[in-house]
Amino acid sequence: MTTSLKLNGRLTIEELNALPEIPIEGITYDQMYIEKEPICPEYQAPDQDIIPSSNRSFVMDPGRICMPFGALWAGVGVHKCIPFVQGAQGCTTYPRYTFSRIFREPVSIATASFHEETAVFGGRKNFIEGLRNLIIRYHPEVIAIVTVCSSEIIGDDMEGFLEEARDSLEEEFGPDIFDEVKFIIIHTPSFVGSHVEGYNRASAAFLKTLAKRSSPNNKVNIIPGMITPGDIREIKHILKLMDIEGTILFDISGTLDCPLRLPQSMPYYPKGGTRVEEIVDMGSSLATFALCHDAGEAGATYLEKRFKVPAIIGPMPLGIRYTDSFIKNLSEITGKPITDEIKDERGILIDAMADTFHYTMGVRVAIYGDPDIAAAASRFSCELGMVPVIVGSGTESKQFVKDVWETVHEYDFEPVILNGSDMFEWEEYIKKNKIDLILSNSKAANISKEANAPLVRIGFPIYDRVGYQRRAYVGYRGGEYLLDLIVNTLLDSKFPDDRIHQ
Amino acid sequence: MAIPEEYKLKCDITIPERYMHHALTNRKEPNIPANNIKTIPGDMTERGCAFAGCRGVIGGPIGDCIQVVHSPAGCAWYQWGTRRNLSAIYSWAGPGVLCNDSHNRRHAISTDLQEKDVVFGGTEKLEKACLEAWRLVPGAGGILIFTTCTSGLIGDDCHAVARRVQKEIGKPVFVFDSPGFCGVSQSIGHHHFNIQFYEQITEYREKHPEACMNEEEKGPYDIAIVGDFNMDWDLAYIKPLFEKLGCRVVLVFTGGERLENLMKLPDVKLNVLHCQRSCTYISKLLVEGFEVPYVNVSLFGLEQTAEALRKVAAFFGSEDMKQKAEQIIEQELKVVSPAIDFYREKLSGKRVGIYVGGPRVWHWQKLMHELGMKVVFGMCTFAHDDDYEKINARAEDGVFLVDSPNEFEIEECLERFKPDLFLTGLKEKYLCRKFGVPTVNSHSYEKGPYACFRGMVNFARDIYQGVYAPVWKFVRDNDFI
Repeated sequence: MTTSLKLNGRLTIEELNALPEIPIEGITYDQMYIEKEPICPEYQAPDQDIIPSSNRSFVMDPGRICMPFGALWAGVGVHKCIPFVQGAQGCTTYPRYTFSRIFREPVSIATASFHEETAVFGGRKNFIEGLRNLIIRYHPEVIAIVTVCSSEIIGDDMEGFLEEARDSLEEEFGPDIFDEVKFIIIHTPSFVGSHVEGYNRASAAFLKTLAKRSSPNNKVNIIPGMITPGDIREIKHILKLMDIEGTILFDISGTLDCPLRLPQSMPYYPKGGTRVEEIVDMGSSLATFALCHDAGEAGATYLEKRFKVPAIIGPMPLGIRYTDSFIKNLSEITGKPITDEIKDERGILIDAMADTFHYTMGVRVAIYGDPDIAAAASRFSCELGMVPVIVGSGTESKQFVKDVWETVHEYDFEPVILNGSDMFEWEEYIKKNKIDLILSNSKAANISKEANAPLVRIGFPIYDRVGYQRRAYVGYRGGEYLLDLIVNTLLDSKFPDDRIHQ
Repeated sequence: MAIPEEYKLKCDITIPERYMHHALTNRKEPNIPANNIKTIPGDMTERGCAFAGCRGVIGGPIGDCIQVVHSPAGCAWYQWGTRRNLSAIYSWAGPGVLCNDSHNRRHAISTDLQEKDVVFGGTEKLEKACLEAWRLVPGAGGILIFTTCTSGLIGDDCHAVARRVQKEIGKPVFVFDSPGFCGVSQSIGHHHFNIQFYEQITEYREKHPEACMNEEEKGPYDIAIVGDFNMDWDLAYIKPLFEKLGCRVVLVFTGGERLENLMKLPDVKLNVLHCQRSCTYISKLLVEGFEVPYVNVSLFGLEQTAEALRKVAAFFGSEDMKQKAEQIIEQELKVVSPAIDFYREKLSGKRVGIYVGGPRVWHWQKLMHELGMKVVFGMCTFAHDDDYEKINARAEDGVFLVDSPNEFEIEECLERFKPDLFLTGLKEKYLCRKFGVPTVNSHSYEKGPYACFRGMVNFARDIYQGVYAPVWKFVRDNDFI
C-alpha cells in the first residue's frame, strides 16, 4: 500500500484531510503538525511577589493528594481487604483511577455512594447497607472504612454507625461473621492533611484495631510507607539475606503488581497482601521499623506505647548511609550478623559509584516529592557528589527539613528547601537557576522539558513510564538501579558521545 | 420486560434490586433497563461524581481559562492532566517559549481548603485566590470556579465572589456549582455545567454586548459543534469535514475552545450535537432561548459520519451543499476503504463487549458492524432512557445490557460471554486483562483520533492490535494455568 506520508515531517491538518488514501496504520495525532496558539499574544511574566506558595492563598500544581488516598493505599496492601469509602463516588473513582494509572492493576474499592439526601440526612443508611452488600457479595476479610471531607463535615459518627452495622450483621449472619471480617475505621478528612498523613493514620488505625501482644515471635515489623512494590520486594530480600523473619504492614507487592494468570475464582482477589493474623501478631515483635517517618510513624509509635515494641523511625533506606543505618539497626535488634552477601551488595553499589563519579560530581540537581523520599533522594545525590540546589516536599514535614539539614551539614551545600510547597514554586526556581538534572515524579515531566533539564523519575506518582513500580530504589541494589538511571540519563542528555568510549 | 431467568447474573442474587438494571435489546419493543437512579451502596460501582462530570468532562477542555477548584488539594490533583482533552492553546513557559502541554492540562489550581476554612468559610480565600491566580497566569480568557463537596457543604457563596472578581479583572468569571455528592453519577455534573454555563453566558452577553457576534460577522452557514471534547485531536478530522461542506465552524463546545468563542454559542445558525448525553441540555436551552436549532449526529464510523453530513446539508437545504455532501462521502470512503477492508477481513466474527459512560455504546454499535464484529453485551455508567432507546434501535436483538455495572457484574459478563475484545476505560481494563481479554481504551483512546472516516482507521487498527497481540496466546497455555 503506498503512502504519501511526509518522511520525518508532520502533516498539517489540511494536508491530512487532503490525503488521497489513509495508510493501513492510520494517522495519529503525534503525526500531525498542530500550530500552537499562545494563550495571549505577548509573554507576560507572572507576578514575582506571589510565586512563593506561602504568599498565596491557593496552590498551583499541588505536590500532594488528598488524605483518603493514603489510607486507601494502605488498605489495598492488606490481603482480601476492600476499603470502603464513606463519601461520594468520586472519592472512590479518582483514587482507583490513580492506582490503575500508576500500577497498571485493577483495584477494588467500595463506596457508600453519597447522593444529595445523604449530605442532608447523614451517611448512616448508606453505610450500613453498603457494608452488608459488600460482605455478602465479596466476602472480604478486612474492610477498611475510610472517611472523606464530606462525611467528616456532615459529622458522620462512624464508630456509632459501625456498632449499629455490627448489630444488624449479627442479626442476619450470626455472631461468627466477626471472625470472618474485621473492620478498621480511618478518619481522613482531606482538609487536614495529605496522602502521606492518610497512610500514617491508616498504619495506626490497623494496629490499634488488630494488633495484640502474645508470646514473642522474634519477628520485626516493617511499615514501608508509600514506596513501590519493587521496594518492598527488596526489603524482603534484605531480610532473607540476614535470615530475619519480618511482617510488612501494607505489602502492596502482592496486590499492586500481580501476575496475569487466569483467575481461578470470582470475584478476583490478588494473592498477596499482609494477612490479618500477621497484623495481629505485630504486637509481639522485636521492633517496628517505620521506613518513612511521615508515613508510618504513627503506627510504630502506637506499638511502642501500647506493647513496648521498640520503634525505629526512618530514614528511608535509600543510598549508602541510610541503608547502612537500616541494616545496622536490623542487626542490633535481632542479634543477627550483617552477612557477607549484604556486604557484597554494598560493595557492588560502591563499585558502581566509583566507576561513575566523574559523571555525577558537581551535577546540580532539583528534587521534589513526598517528604521522606525527597530527603532520602537529596542524601543519595550528595553521596554521588551531586549538588542539590532545590529540595521540595509536597507535604509539609518537620522531619523532612531536619533530615535535609543534617545532609547539608555533612556535605556542605546550600539548597533552597521548600517545605510543603507546590510544584509551581519549585518550577520557577528551576527555570531561574542552572539545573542539570531533576529527580521527581511524573508530574515534573513538563517542567523537565521546558527547563531543558533531564528527569529521573522517582517517588510517587509515576504513571507516564512503565515498570517503575516493579523496580526498587531502596537498599543497595535499589541504589544501584537508581545510580544507573541517573548516570544514563546524564549521558543521554549532556555527554559528547566520544567521551564515553574509554 | 423482565429479563429471562438464564440471563440473570449469579453475583446479584444477594442484591436482587440490581436485576432491574439488566435488559436484552429489542428493536421492535425497546427494553429499557432501570437507569439514572441511585447507586446501591457497597456494590462496587464504577461511577464517578458530579464534580467529575462538570469539571473533568466539560469544563476541563476549555482552553484558555484559569480553572480554580474550590476544594482541598486532592480534587484538583485528580483532574490535573488526566483526560486527554487536547487543545492548541498553550500558556507561556518563559519569554518566547510556550509550555510543553496545552494550558488546560498543564496546571491545576486549588484553593487548598484547610480545617479553619471549613469552620470559618472559604469565600475570602477564594476571592484572594482568584485575584492572585490572575496575577500569576496573566493573559487568560477568564476564570472558571468549580465547587466540590467541601465548598458545597460549608455553603460558600461563590457567585458573590465571582461578581466581585469579575469587576476587578474585567474578564468573565463563571461559577460551576456541582459538588460531588449531587445526583447519581457524573451525568448530573454535565447537566449542571450546561445549565449554569447557559445562564451565565446569557447574563454576560446582556451586560456586555461586545461579547456577542456582530450582525455583519454572522454567516449563513455558521455552525457550532456541541459536545465534542477533542479527545486525541478528534477535531482534526471533524472540523475540516464540515468546512469542506461549506459550513463555518464558529466554535466547539467545549473541546480546546476559548471562552470568548464559547460566548458566541447563541449566534450560530445550527448546533451539531455530538455527545447527546452531556450536551443535549444546553442545546435544548439554546432552542428555547435563542431559537438556535440543533441536529443529533454521530461522528464515529463511516455510515454515521455520512449520515451526519447529509443531515447538516439537509438542514441548510441548499442543493449545492447536498451534492457536496455526497461528493465528500464518496471521496472519503475511497480514502479509507482499503484500510478498513483489511481490518474487516481480520476482525469478522469477533465478539466484543462495550462498557463506556453512556452514548458511545450506541455510537459504536454500527462501527462494530462495519468491522464485521458482533456486540455481545453493552454497559453504561450513566446513560438515561434516551441512550437506551438508541442502543435498542441500533443494536442487534438480544444484546445483554447492564446499567451502571459494578465490578462483579463485569467479571461475570466477561466469564459468561467470553468476548474477544472489551472496549472500556482505564479502571476496568486492568481487571479485564486479568481475565485474558484484550481491551481498547474507550474514553481517551489508545492512539487516536477515532472520529469520522479517517479516524475510523485508527480505531480499527487499535482493535486489530488488541485482538491480535501475541500475548493472549500465552495466557491460555494449559500447562501453565
